[in-house]
Amino acid sequence: MRRALLLSAAAVMAAALGSGFVAAQAPATSSPAGAGSAAKPPRTSDGKPNLQGYWNNQAGAAPWDIEPHPASFQVPAGDGVIVDPPDHRIPYQPAALERRNELRDKYAFEDPQAHCAPSGVPRQTYTPFGFQIVQPRGSVVILYEAEHVHRVIRTDGSVHVPASVRLWSGDSVGHWEGDTLVVESTNFNGKTWLDMTGNFTTPALRVVERYTLVDADTIQYEATLEDPTIYTRPWKMAFLLRRNLQPGYYLLEFACHEGERDLQHYTDDTGRPKEDRAP
Amino acid sequence: MKSRTIRLLVLTCALAGSASLIAGQAARQTGSPAYKPPRTPDGQPDLQGIWQVRNTANWDVLPHGSAYRIPSGLGVVEGDAIPYQPWAAEKQQQNFKNRLTDDPVEKCYSAGAPRTMYLPYPVQILQTPEAVVMVSSYVHTWRWIPTIAVPRYEGYEAWMGDPRGRWDGDTLVVESIGFNGQTWLDHSGNFHSDALKLTERFTRTAPDAIGYEVTIDDAKVFTRPWKMRMPLYLRADMPRILEDECYLDAEEAGRAIRGGHPEDRGGVR
Repeated sequence: MRRALLLSAAAVMAAALGSGFVAAQAPATSSPAGAGSAAKPPRTSDGKPNLQGYWNNQAGAAPWDIEPHPASFQVPAGDGVIVDPPDHRIPYQPAALERRNELRDKYAFEDPQAHCAPSGVPRQTYTPFGFQIVQPRGSVVILYEAEHVHRVIRTDGSVHVPASVRLWSGDSVGHWEGDTLVVESTNFNGKTWLDMTGNFTTPALRVVERYTLVDADTIQYEATLEDPTIYTRPWKMAFLLRRNLQPGYYLLEFACHEGERDLQHYTDDTGRPKEDRAP
Repeated sequence: MKSRTIRLLVLTCALAGSASLIAGQAARQTGSPAYKPPRTPDGQPDLQGIWQVRNTANWDVLPHGSAYRIPSGLGVVEGDAIPYQPWAAEKQQQNFKNRLTDDPVEKCYSAGAPRTMYLPYPVQILQTPEAVVMVSSYVHTWRWIPTIAVPRYEGYEAWMGDPRGRWDGDTLVVESIGFNGQTWLDHSGNFHSDALKLTERFTRTAPDAIGYEVTIDDAKVFTRPWKMRMPLYLRADMPRILEDECYLDAEEAGRAIRGGHPEDRGGVR
């Protein structure tokens, strides 16, 4: 499956950057969030759970396919990240499932991520790259290495921007429920996919994410997706985020050019140039 | 491209109200010397907010009349001249001639630092005790500027450079190295190399203005360090930074980005 090539290349690049730059790094600095185990979540100066620092997902093969799937060429097997419904499948309406299958089988190269578009929510959380959480007062900022995307999640009681404003990364507002950061995102442009397997989205998507520190170095991450135009019911994915404890680590610049067209020069599985464009 | 350029112009004019008025202001700082900036609860000068220039430095940092798709402006460079070495002055002229294809921003590439700060797009500044974060709506770029000690990755180079911040009284000082040498300072081809040592100073001079001072030190290109100064104005009308995706927007409109891809120049296919 050629669609795995970009991600494989990305993973190799990440590994190369890791070995190259990390090896050359100077001694460690202390993590602002105070890495290490703690009985209670560390707090920011305004008393909120301190999620700050560098995180990597433990979403396994979700970047390729968020549903359970066997290994195929360039695609590692995975049991998916969907925890509800119990069959671990996206509860598509029949026409939407047909559309997904068509995208998966014929137009995998149309994956917007492969063209360096923002991955959107929640996919940005399970790219094979790290991200950083920063907590100024009144917001939670997430800086992602992949596609150098950022999210400023307003936690000051803000309402969403007008519905006609449609965004790749959507519009996120958050609040704290106990020690859990709850983020509600709407205003999506409906162009993002959830993985490389054609699992598409629409502008009707609403995502509710929950970030809960379960120990000083682990966040339980959940995302509930609702879209009455393509799903039969809301559904949920969940996985852990682990703190990157590598001394001296910080995010590197990711210079993927939006509209990347190298993929057009690749060939399909039969060796022909890939010219198809999704309808 | 055309639509984007026009959009930039419209945006700039809308914000500026009057291009000449704004260009005049660009050379000065706003606010009175007695002004004391607010502090964050953690005790730092508070620079937080969404900010944007109202000048034409993005098109030309020097004083300039109008040219094709370049709005006129009084410039932001101290002394109204850039001390290029002779070869670099020639290179700048070449860049100017080829600006419609060679300006990295015409290809929707990252504008890098410092140009991201004076694009006709807003920049949001956010602060914690350990860092200052700047996020731009232009191709969703961000700058993470630690104000605590963080050793640099040796050999790292980036469009934005590798910034480190510190507080000097009421001023945020950001020093960056590690540039990839591919960015321009403006659309007119003013440029620097990978040897750039960039120093930026952010001082809140009024409730709705930040004095922004830039020192460009690049021994490969210039005969001496030189400075730019301009105000950044508060965008009190914006609850958040939005997205300006440039390439994706152009592609959706069916427009090719000039110089952005070999195919667009009739090259490799």
